[in-house]
Amino acid sequence: MATIEITFTLNGTEHCIEADTRWTLLYLLREEFGLTGTKRGCDMGECGTCTVLLDGLPVNACQVLVASISACRVTTIESLSSDGNLHPLQVAFLENDGGQCGFCTPGFIMSAIPLMEMDTPITRDQISEALGGNLCRCNAYGAILDSVNAALDERFHA
Amino acid sequence: MDSFEYHRPTTREEVSFLLTSTSRAHIVSGSTDLLGEMKQGVVHPESLVSLAGVDGLKDIQSNGNVCILGSMVTLSDIVSNDDLSSSFPALVKAAASVATPQIRSIGTLGGNLCQRPRCWYYRSPLFDCLKKGGEKCFAVGGLDKYHAIIGGDKCWIVHPSDIAVALTALDAKVKIFGPAGCATMKMDDFFVGPGTDIQRENVLGEGEFVSSIEITCEEELSSSTFLKFKERQSMDFALASAAVSISLSGGKISRVGVVLGGIAPIPWRLTEIEEYMLGMTMEDLKRSDELISKVDISLRDARPMSENNTYKIDLAISYLKRALDQVFRDLC
Amino acid sequence: MPENLGWVGSSPPRRDLGDKVTGKAEYAADIGLDGMLYAKVLRSPHPHARILSVDTFEAGKLAGVKAIVTPFDVPDGRVAPDVAILDQKVRFVGDEVAVVAADNPFTADLAVKLIEVSYEILSFSSTTDEALADSAEPIHEGGNLINNAPLIEQRGNIDEGFGEADLIVEESFTTPAHSPAPLEPRTALARWDGSKLTVWKSSRGIHADKIALSQALGLSTESVRVIGPHMGAGYGGKDESRTAVLASILSMRAQAPVRLELSREEEFVAGRRRHSTQTTLRMGLKKDGEITAIHAKTVMDTGAYLSSGPGVARRAGQGALYLYRCPNVRYEGSLVYTNTPTAGSYRALGAPQGHYALECVADLAAESLGIDPLEFRRKNHVGLEGQPGERITPVTEIVDTQPSEGGIPFSSNGLSECLALGAERIGWGKPVDGIHKSSSKSIKRGRGMSMFLYRGGPGGKAHASITLTEDSSYSLATGVMDVGEGSATVLSQIASQVLSTPYDSIDLVMGDTDITPEASITAGSSVTFSSGLAVKRAAEILRDKILNQAAQFLGDCQHALKLRGSGVKSDSGAFISICDLVEHSGAINAEATIVPGSSDYVINSFGAHFVEVEVDVETGKVNISRYVAAHDAGTIINPKMAENQVRGGVSQMMGFTFLEDMETDPNTGIVVNSNFLDHKSPTILDFPDIDVIFADINDPIGPFGAKSLGEPPCIGPAPTITNAIYDAVGVRITDLPITPHRLLAAIKNRKV
Repeated sequence: MATIEITFTLNGTEHCIEADTRWTLLYLLREEFGLTGTKRGCDMGECGTCTVLLDGLPVNACQVLVASISACRVTTIESLSSDGNLHPLQVAFLENDGGQCGFCTPGFIMSAIPLMEMDTPITRDQISEALGGNLCRCNAYGAILDSVNAALDERFHA
Repeated sequence: MDSFEYHRPTTREEVSFLLTSTSRAHIVSGSTDLLGEMKQGVVHPESLVSLAGVDGLKDIQSNGNVCILGSMVTLSDIVSNDDLSSSFPALVKAAASVATPQIRSIGTLGGNLCQRPRCWYYRSPLFDCLKKGGEKCFAVGGLDKYHAIIGGDKCWIVHPSDIAVALTALDAKVKIFGPAGCATMKMDDFFVGPGTDIQRENVLGEGEFVSSIEITCEEELSSSTFLKFKERQSMDFALASAAVSISLSGGKISRVGVVLGGIAPIPWRLTEIEEYMLGMTMEDLKRSDELISKVDISLRDARPMSENNTYKIDLAISYLKRALDQVFRDLC
Repeated sequence: MPENLGWVGSSPPRRDLGDKVTGKAEYAADIGLDGMLYAKVLRSPHPHARILSVDTFEAGKLAGVKAIVTPFDVPDGRVAPDVAILDQKVRFVGDEVAVVAADNPFTADLAVKLIEVSYEILSFSSTTDEALADSAEPIHEGGNLINNAPLIEQRGNIDEGFGEADLIVEESFTTPAHSPAPLEPRTALARWDGSKLTVWKSSRGIHADKIALSQALGLSTESVRVIGPHMGAGYGGKDESRTAVLASILSMRAQAPVRLELSREEEFVAGRRRHSTQTTLRMGLKKDGEITAIHAKTVMDTGAYLSSGPGVARRAGQGALYLYRCPNVRYEGSLVYTNTPTAGSYRALGAPQGHYALECVADLAAESLGIDPLEFRRKNHVGLEGQPGERITPVTEIVDTQPSEGGIPFSSNGLSECLALGAERIGWGKPVDGIHKSSSKSIKRGRGMSMFLYRGGPGGKAHASITLTEDSSYSLATGVMDVGEGSATVLSQIASQVLSTPYDSIDLVMGDTDITPEASITAGSSVTFSSGLAVKRAAEILRDKILNQAAQFLGDCQHALKLRGSGVKSDSGAFISICDLVEHSGAINAEATIVPGSSDYVINSFGAHFVEVEVDVETGKVNISRYVAAHDAGTIINPKMAENQVRGGVSQMMGFTFLEDMETDPNTGIVVNSNFLDHKSPTILDFPDIDVIFADINDPIGPFGAKSLGEPPCIGPAPTITNAIYDAVGVRITDLPITPHRLLAAIKNRKV
């Protein structure tokens, strides 16, 4: 078993760990850190369920080797409401029935975070493009779009 | 997955050295394709050599008419680059059509060009196919609806890279680094069909990797586009695609690239159409019935594997016409 | 009725959505226990073979491997009548052979690769035609045609019916085996405490699972506890597989908790998929459009094991038997084993397949007669009075929700409302116009429709237990599972309305067999109706008891009292708070058991879908420009959730219609697309705008008038779209999915 020492930041806290080179970021988060908010849908980068932010960009955690995240910033769903208050996206999903079985929900929310940081309003089609890498098998896509749209509306018109 | 050593060299020389001196070493860029193959048990590297720490591979440099993109430039970097969007729209459209936002965040230019085929027999460890050193191609007499209609030779994969199609139409050059130093070649010469070597899709030899891509545009007026037909609107490889690039000097077409994707083991350049178009004015071209005729017969040498992939002929031609239309409208 | 209390007819947020948006909601694979081991399954590379020997010596030597189970050392139990815990025969590529538990998943993976198996290869059948051939190797004892005969259901005499017809139309259809592919792969975690087994699993029926587990392992039900954490959906497909049993046996052998979490590939291949079908449907008609006979024959591929095949086969005939008013109908449904992955329940079971054939033939019939398709359906759909014929079920017995007999009215039937509302919304009869997405000459536009019925809600016996606790809060215990379809919310709304209290003031006790009453699986769109009735009844009994206690305390007559949220108020103005009441009387409990259904009526839900499509004749791509889904599901308890249920079901079946098919290599029996890339489920970019309309129907039997809604939306899309494509380009596609390849070939052939 080969290992590698990696220093990285997870939800704002720096960690230095010895990782098995085979570990993906998804495995690390769930099995080593117990952060199970990021779910495993396919482990092949084909469903977006395990979306987290890596240096602010949405990535499939199952496609990232821990060995490659040296000096990177990892952000997971758990960080969004760590102060006890819900993130505006989370509020919008609640109010717009944005989830059914909920398994895809953290991944969709993480994929939508970068949209909340844009300077200009975006269209519903552009929201779809940004969420094109997240599967919802309940097909709650309509409500998901409603939710993200509502959060963005709130942001730009509040 | 079997265990492996992970190396993060800082120079290109070190990369080549590690690739040649370590047993079963494999280069890794964005890792999206390679990890998939490793998890499926298609490849079993003992060593991964990352390009992430090598200086200069992540840059996009524009010097007047020449643009050099390092092989570690991510697909999302390409998509968000305004200069590239205006100078080489085919490249940006191709990059934007790849996979998903998550994969584009870490997927790289070099990785996309060097990705392995999506043939489901190749990707499954249960089939020991020709490309993997086995005895037969299981698509022959099997499930072949996504396989090649032209350019196949015992193996019938289609090249999966959209960017390869766009860059071929843009007459891009590939710079390779290896144990013998650098070498630059045309995109057309980078890709290799199964007739030449069934077990690879490009010329990279041991210790070699893509260092950068160079695209030039010296003409006064140019336009390009890339169109991709997908069964579903995200997360899908091309059933057929078309890239067209036209540049004009003195009102006449001085450079042209017409390339089809999703139908052959390499990006499929339609030289006859290109030769026809060279030297013409846009007005003549738009009025030309002969161009339409040439497009209609451009795949006359296609040999679909069965009725299952015959549709690719009409689909590719249809998309080519649309790509030509788009570029014509842009230029007129 | 105050909106913010979340009562029936309002749309309060889903009760568990708060935990889902934060990532706090726990699913089976999120639970970690001290000393937990990871399991991995060794699967057959052959479609059909006998296992001669299994050598685990090398695997067992690997550091970290704690237990291995093979067919030669496994208890003699059964997971299903035709499924042993592990078998010495394998019946499809991917069938379970052996299973390993190790201290980390990498080791388990490695160990599986070290197990050596000796097989005797048998010839295999990958299609129903092959399996039915005389030379086919039997997959199970008894042969490859289940019961050696088709299921037959009929009414009247079809020979007479066809004899009376002026015109007969007939067509044959095929539908694919696509996968429900729930995002959460099936997972089970097992732990023994002495002789008590606890299993956490992705489940839609913890009590059914408990019974199945105890039977398979030869245990008393008291020694088995099943806990269902949140479930990442199943759409019917997560029933009765070997996962939980194997995890339990490994855990016993290893003396440690064991988690068996399937990979995505395994969930595709070793899960369940929809039965692929071949249907031939004949319809006899009079010149004026009256239907004299319907005869449907369906052959269904059930794969390597039977699973819920018989239920699926029944449901595939329901449309032909009951949707159109007709005295003479016959349905024959054959189930055939093949050496391919097992087919089982997937949302609406056989109804989408059956209705696809039926509603395409209906359009064909309408065209042959020169009648508008909507008019044809208005004229012929079954009405409130039900089907002609004699009732066979004794009058005191509960009527089946999938009958073939006539002479029984429906409790409610909103088909004509759905047809009218949907037609009006889409603009049926007006020119197909509006906003053009493309002005290209290659785009042809068309409009189509279909209608359907489905069982209306009665399921198995339902229990509910509701308590006003000593700390003055309400606690509702039910053994059903919320699988993402929203039952926790709907049941809360029903109870809270009866008790005049906010819907989220009711604590829910669900998901643990130790602390909930027995219940059926969340299936067949039955929870709102069946458990809803039980919950409503239990809440009514509790309300009565509360009022009774209050009457004693206040010295008032119970009739003069009303339960009002925080307390009981008398007409005279007297009041006692819930807190004071509880202090006085202690906790109050009420229970109810309902056998849902009616002996007077057939209870069905109905719907009609309409669509406008744009077909690109050069590429075979179809764009949905407008989709209207009109439903009769009785009273809608939570309109927002209901609307999303419809939108979700319609969108999900875009996969069935256009994209999805589990493809088996004919030469090896290997499924080549057991992944999310090549089994192409719709993405958000494929999602069409869906206009949902609910007919204003109040069912006399259902709780507050509600009927089923979970599955019916899945029935409409395929025939609706197929009929619209015909309208657009004049080709009638008879094989799903409508891939670009198929459509282009059909368009080309038609031109020639």
